[in-house]
Amino acid sequence: MTQQRVRRSSWGGLFVAVLGLVLGTGVARAELPATAVSTGAPDQGNPRVEAALLTDVSQVKPGDSFRVGVRFRMDPGWHIYWKNPGESGLASEIVWDTPGTTVGELQWPLPITFRSPDGFITSYGYAEEVLLFAEARASEQMTGSLQLSAASDILVCEQRCLPAQLMLTRHIPVGPETRKDPEFAAAFDAARASVPVTPESAGHVVSLALDTKPLTAGQPFTGTFTVTAPQGQPAPVVEKDFFIPDRIKGIARVELAPVAGKPGTFKLEGTVAQDVPAQEPRLAGVLRLGTAASGYRALTLDLALAPVVAAPPGTAPAAPVVKAAPVVKPPTVGTAVASESSLSLGLVLLFAFLGGALLNLMPCVFPVLALKAYGFTRTVHAERGKVALHALAYAGGIIGSLLALALVVLALRAGGSSVGWGFQFQEPLFVAAVAAVLVAFALNLFGVFTVGTDGTALVEKVDSSHGLARSAGEGVLAVVLATPCSAPLLGTAVGFALAAGPATVLATFFMLGLGLALPFCLLVLVPGLTKLLPKPGAWMERGKQLLGFALLGTTVWLVWVMGGLTGVDGMARLLAFLAVVGLGAWMYGLAQGAEGGRKVAGVVAVVAVLAVGGVLSLRFEETGPALRKASAVAEAQPWDEAAVAAALEAGQPVFVDFTADWCLTCKFNERTVLTREEVRAAFAQHKVAFFVADWTRRDERISAKLAEFGRAGVPMYLVVSPAAPDKPEVLPELLTTDSVIEAVRRAAERVADAT
Amino acid sequence: MKTLISAVALAVMLPVVALAADTAQVGKPAPAFTLKDEAGKEHSLAQYKGKIVVLEWTNSDCPFVQRHYTANTMQKTLAGFDAKKVVWLAVDSTASHTPDKVAAWKKEKGFTYSVLQDASGTVGKSYGAKTTPHMYVIDEQGVLRYAGAIDDDPRGNKKEGTTNYVKTAVDALLSGKPVPATSSEPYGCSVKYKS
Repeated sequence: MTQQRVRRSSWGGLFVAVLGLVLGTGVARAELPATAVSTGAPDQGNPRVEAALLTDVSQVKPGDSFRVGVRFRMDPGWHIYWKNPGESGLASEIVWDTPGTTVGELQWPLPITFRSPDGFITSYGYAEEVLLFAEARASEQMTGSLQLSAASDILVCEQRCLPAQLMLTRHIPVGPETRKDPEFAAAFDAARASVPVTPESAGHVVSLALDTKPLTAGQPFTGTFTVTAPQGQPAPVVEKDFFIPDRIKGIARVELAPVAGKPGTFKLEGTVAQDVPAQEPRLAGVLRLGTAASGYRALTLDLALAPVVAAPPGTAPAAPVVKAAPVVKPPTVGTAVASESSLSLGLVLLFAFLGGALLNLMPCVFPVLALKAYGFTRTVHAERGKVALHALAYAGGIIGSLLALALVVLALRAGGSSVGWGFQFQEPLFVAAVAAVLVAFALNLFGVFTVGTDGTALVEKVDSSHGLARSAGEGVLAVVLATPCSAPLLGTAVGFALAAGPATVLATFFMLGLGLALPFCLLVLVPGLTKLLPKPGAWMERGKQLLGFALLGTTVWLVWVMGGLTGVDGMARLLAFLAVVGLGAWMYGLAQGAEGGRKVAGVVAVVAVLAVGGVLSLRFEETGPALRKASAVAEAQPWDEAAVAAALEAGQPVFVDFTADWCLTCKFNERTVLTREEVRAAFAQHKVAFFVADWTRRDERISAKLAEFGRAGVPMYLVVSPAAPDKPEVLPELLTTDSVIEAVRRAAERVADAT
Repeated sequence: MKTLISAVALAVMLPVVALAADTAQVGKPAPAFTLKDEAGKEHSLAQYKGKIVVLEWTNSDCPFVQRHYTANTMQKTLAGFDAKKVVWLAVDSTASHTPDKVAAWKKEKGFTYSVLQDASGTVGKSYGAKTTPHMYVIDEQGVLRYAGAIDDDPRGNKKEGTTNYVKTAVDALLSGKPVPATSSEPYGCSVKYKS
């Protein structure tokens, strides 16, 4: 007993724990009879749980009430389950056998929320220690002693799960008076304090307003839930995992999300189960108010929801159909949101083709196109057949690398990941690799080194086989640079493809390549066009060098992207690496002038410099703080579902800008449209809440949101009206001032109509 | 250009975010899949069109699965169906499981249906499989008709009157009637997905 009292201080607890280890656990629980303690869930001979049958009395007077319970102590990392185990597990169960004693309903202290490492599975339960207990009353006629027996059926899980059935039994003497056991009474009091109470008994008022009644089987529903603290108390605040729902008959899923800026107000979202329940479902569960710092208060929730009706025929999944005709959906053109179901494959391929063609106009592909035009001028005056070959090589490079990209996407998907368009630019090493290629390419154009026999050779003597390889290489480069520029129509097409089967993915990427290669191939196919090109001459050498600067300009942008990904350090490391690449290119140029052994030694030295330089500089810490960029729009807030909900709740139209540093289309839109005075004035006039969802780094929430709209990449622009929060308008990838102002006005006007 | 190709290859190594896949919903077409079984043979949902397909998420380490395999629940349920009309496929989304381990377990328990290998968890997540066992019944047209537990006896201590939801659902489909209970709370261990 004295040992147990010492436990109140943490040092004492440690002392007891050490003592327990030294002397064996038998000593620490000497006051409990052996039959009242048991261990279970043996894990290679090691029990993972210890159960003890406890009472808060050491003697009972006939007719008196007392408390009886089972205390479970789990090994570190192991847990047992609440009465609603959640998405996996098994509710803990205690069956009483207490002749002459009535035992009431089991009381469940507030559980905690467990999630699988990937966040996919949520369950509720207890770690470390919990006392599940009940009120009991000894019969008036009792004499001698009370026999108390409890059979526990629990599932003890860590990564693995071990079921345990534990039988516990003990006797409590019956006497002329009830004697509290101070040690265990305290344990019961502590457990009692964490059992959720009804809002009424805590002086709180709760209410629920559903947006639609009745509920429809299989359909989602929404509502607003409020909880008000007693007068004079601050409004209730909550922390993560504050709501633990019961298993509600007829409801498949229910979630509460706090509404930002309005403590005590929650957005209710749920889905009704497929089957109509016999009884009206209720919103049942536990609400944990307060914070770890202020302490928690747990309330039980039990509010009527609404009756559930069957879905009307047509909308409901019908009973087995005898013959399901293949569904042919008419292509719908002109809708802003083209969800995958409303797109036919043919339309997607058309979109992909047009999107690819439009990519040529995007700022990312321009340097390559210019390069190609230069090379083309050089070869155009050669025989026509060769020109066609170059076009073919260029298109082949484009299509080949796009198909390679498609295969990468498919491989990643088969490996369990999903990827979006432009995802490579979320990887610092990829950005570094592209920057290095650009710098090397630019230095080549400056004449620092030559590739093969090209360069110093006369234009007329260009080795055609090498020229073809170069054309193919330029095609590859065009693709690499094109990915961060999501052209109009492209987002939808690629989004659709990524969600579809492998054949569709390959077909879509193929069409995309055809589109991208189109303008150049057109030049070849239309004979008259080639004659419009200027004659080759000395200007070409200058033009070539000038193009080198265009490539360096693109490198500047990549350095900036790197800053967003990895901060100042990452930028410096990239620049250091690029300097090494430059040094390597220069040394290679020198080696090219040498002969025999010296040439080989030179090339070895280049490889050594690049390898050492690369190893030393290419270490990017994505965890490092990103450079804070001044947001394009001053009033921008970081995107967050809860904050969006709060703004809508407050009656504000919402504009969400899904963007990324490496997305040039996004940056273009921000500079040319979103920052314009008229747009800002319109935003201010309609009190638009402006959110920025930055996808520069990987962000699962943003990827999921994009996928929701059938998109695989940024940019995406959503305009949400508070009058129709579930029907956001998706703006086209290329914004215009008018389209943004109009969309915002429509969103604001819907409010006016609704109110 | 070799640098470029290696740069593309580099993208393969990216640990890329997982998009929220559209999950299986009763009444909607069941998510398509192609998986290899423990013997390396490929199975795709599409190839079983015209038959009723029962999917059983399984994990031989899970006590709940072990209980059902000791009691032959799955085998007995399957034996009650017309073999020409119903296909039973177990799916193992346990990240740590290898085909060898599964094959050994299959031999030990002596059942004949294939155990599809989904160590990446892609298919499991597309079905929203949370527990082992977690059962799905797909009709002849490929539409999901039941998702949930195998029966209404999570603890395995019911003496009699257990309802086998999968049997009920398949029997209803075979006789052209609507499935009486299209979903139930699955019970068991959590699926040990790759994380």
